[in-house]
Amino acid sequence: MPYAVVAVILVTLGTVGIGIYGLRLARTTSDFLVASRSVSPVWNASAISGEYLSAASFLGVAGLVLAYGADMLWYPVGFVAGYLVLLLMVAAPLRRSGAYTVPDFAEIRLGSPGVRRLASVLVVAIGWLYLVPQLQGAGLTLRTVTGAPAWAGAVLVAVVVTVNVAGGGMRSATFVQAFQYWLKLTAITVPAIFLVLAWQADGRPDPAAATPPVFRAATTVHLDAGVRVDVAEPVQVQVRGRGPLLLTTGRHDLAAGTTLVFPAGSAVPHLHGLTATNGTTWARPLSGAGGLEHPLYATYALALATFLGTMGLPHVLIRFYTNPDGRSARRTTLAVLALLGAFYLLPALYGALGRLYTPQLLLTGRTDAVVLALPGTLIGGVGGHLLEALLVAGAFAAFLSTSSGLLVSTAGVLVQDVLRGSVRDFRRAAVVAGAVPLGVALLATGRPVGQVVGLAFAVAASSFCPLLVLGIWWRGLTPPGAAAGLMAGGGLSAAAVLLTLTGTVRHGWPAALLAQPAAWTVPVAFAVMVGVSLATRRRIPLDVGRTMLALHAPEELGLTTRR
Amino acid sequence: MSIDAERGQRPAGSASYQEIQAAPEFQQLKRSLRRFVFPMTVAFLAWYLLYVLMSAYARGFMGHQLLGNINVAYVFGLLQFVSTFVIAWIYARYADKHLDPLADTLRAEIEGGTR
Repeated sequence: MPYAVVAVILVTLGTVGIGIYGLRLARTTSDFLVASRSVSPVWNASAISGEYLSAASFLGVAGLVLAYGADMLWYPVGFVAGYLVLLLMVAAPLRRSGAYTVPDFAEIRLGSPGVRRLASVLVVAIGWLYLVPQLQGAGLTLRTVTGAPAWAGAVLVAVVVTVNVAGGGMRSATFVQAFQYWLKLTAITVPAIFLVLAWQADGRPDPAAATPPVFRAATTVHLDAGVRVDVAEPVQVQVRGRGPLLLTTGRHDLAAGTTLVFPAGSAVPHLHGLTATNGTTWARPLSGAGGLEHPLYATYALALATFLGTMGLPHVLIRFYTNPDGRSARRTTLAVLALLGAFYLLPALYGALGRLYTPQLLLTGRTDAVVLALPGTLIGGVGGHLLEALLVAGAFAAFLSTSSGLLVSTAGVLVQDVLRGSVRDFRRAAVVAGAVPLGVALLATGRPVGQVVGLAFAVAASSFCPLLVLGIWWRGLTPPGAAAGLMAGGGLSAAAVLLTLTGTVRHGWPAALLAQPAAWTVPVAFAVMVGVSLATRRRIPLDVGRTMLALHAPEELGLTTRR
Repeated sequence: MSIDAERGQRPAGSASYQEIQAAPEFQQLKRSLRRFVFPMTVAFLAWYLLYVLMSAYARGFMGHQLLGNINVAYVFGLLQFVSTFVIAWIYARYADKHLDPLADTLRAEIEGGTR
């Protein structure tokens, strides 16, 4: 395990080191927030991708593929496609508006402090909802590779990121993020090559074979938390310190601290709530693998959330200001799509190999750990430990980069709308912005990181997507309409998120509608925003013509509201 | 960092809003942009939703094995990634070719004070 610890230390020191280097260049509040628009497209594209590839991408997608099969590939497809919608519909006019954040945009377009405050609350809510799984992922990672308690990783990431952001702001963040993209790509690619070679050497077993997952070799499973499992086939296991035990078909509660040895070839008992699925079903889209209910609805809703939610994520929008002009903004976006696409080809591979070689994660429920667990099982020895260390480095790069981006944006909104803008207050805001999600991450029980991040997309799609799209392309939007739409879409999706995360509703259509709310909350938000705007037509801002012109006229004309 | 304070201030010498709004080049620019952005967004959403529909209702076709374990669904899925990039690339080219020259003409005319 020492290699993995060295990797964590190196990535953390690298992040802090580059942050300090950038700090010497940061001078004014504008530097802190958007690096003075002086970052080149390649750096910027790497930085955007580095910031965007979160714990959900690095760990979560593979874990979801392991548990729920082919439908989960919509997560990476949607994560990339969301950038395209952002590029086509929103990026250029938003740049010209001169707004750094959605609340800025709301005020510029609608001239309403009320809508601005509402948008600020939503930015902070989405930022925190997105930060919690990053910190929990860090806890899970450190626990998986070193056995450290779950709070240790979360506290480490929260403290490093808060100190770094409070000290260096966006300028340092840009350097850190760009470095981290390349680290993440290397960290997921190199082990993947070795894993595929090992899989070839093993006779290329089929991950989609017709049986439910089985232990290919005798497997020792240590439970550091109690689990409830469903056993499909009776299996004779060895309980360390207690001797043999027959697990009969049905439900069993296994206590924390138990160590079980499963014989080779036995079927894997699944965590209660996850359904054991044969390979054919697992590999087929919309099959409901893993016990997912109403897969067709869930897929549409997930696609809608990711396509339309990307534009509303606080750490994504602000990045479009770090390009000197519209043309380089387009170049940057193209490069981002290529960089993200290259990365996202790999998590599915880990998920598929995990079904063959680390199926015990379906028993413990820690499917997010599949990327980290594979090298030790499939390759082993010093080589396995080194590859594991590389993956841990990539995972920590993911936690650190996404968390800093979210923290910069959340703190930026806090400092503009809660405190008055000055460098000192930005630091205080960063501490607040980091402390709250850390508290939640430590108190709340872990859900799959990919799923929670998907919910953050759903809230963004149900609130900021209608505000941005209608604000940019429709003159008729009014402040009351925008406020009502934000409250309806944001409120309904946030309520759905709370009900899902607390596990209040578990089965049937209600659970499916709440677990993937975007398919109904996005249309509701658009309808309310348009309807109330039409009913309050007299409240259309008087200067709407001037504002719309500034949004759509070429920026060389000097109409942009620059700060 | 107040926005209101700066909204009133326009760079010295820049054209008035009415002038720009009235310029045929600006109207042309707006039309060219909309003519591209809206159909493209709709087409691209339809293309993605088609995949889901086919997975649900054309399983035989999607499950057709092309090469070893590779079936139509996987090729289709990979094409989704590729198409995202291709559309963005087409947009960048369209903007370079059609939108930027229009913007430049508009700028030259207004700064030259010809209208």
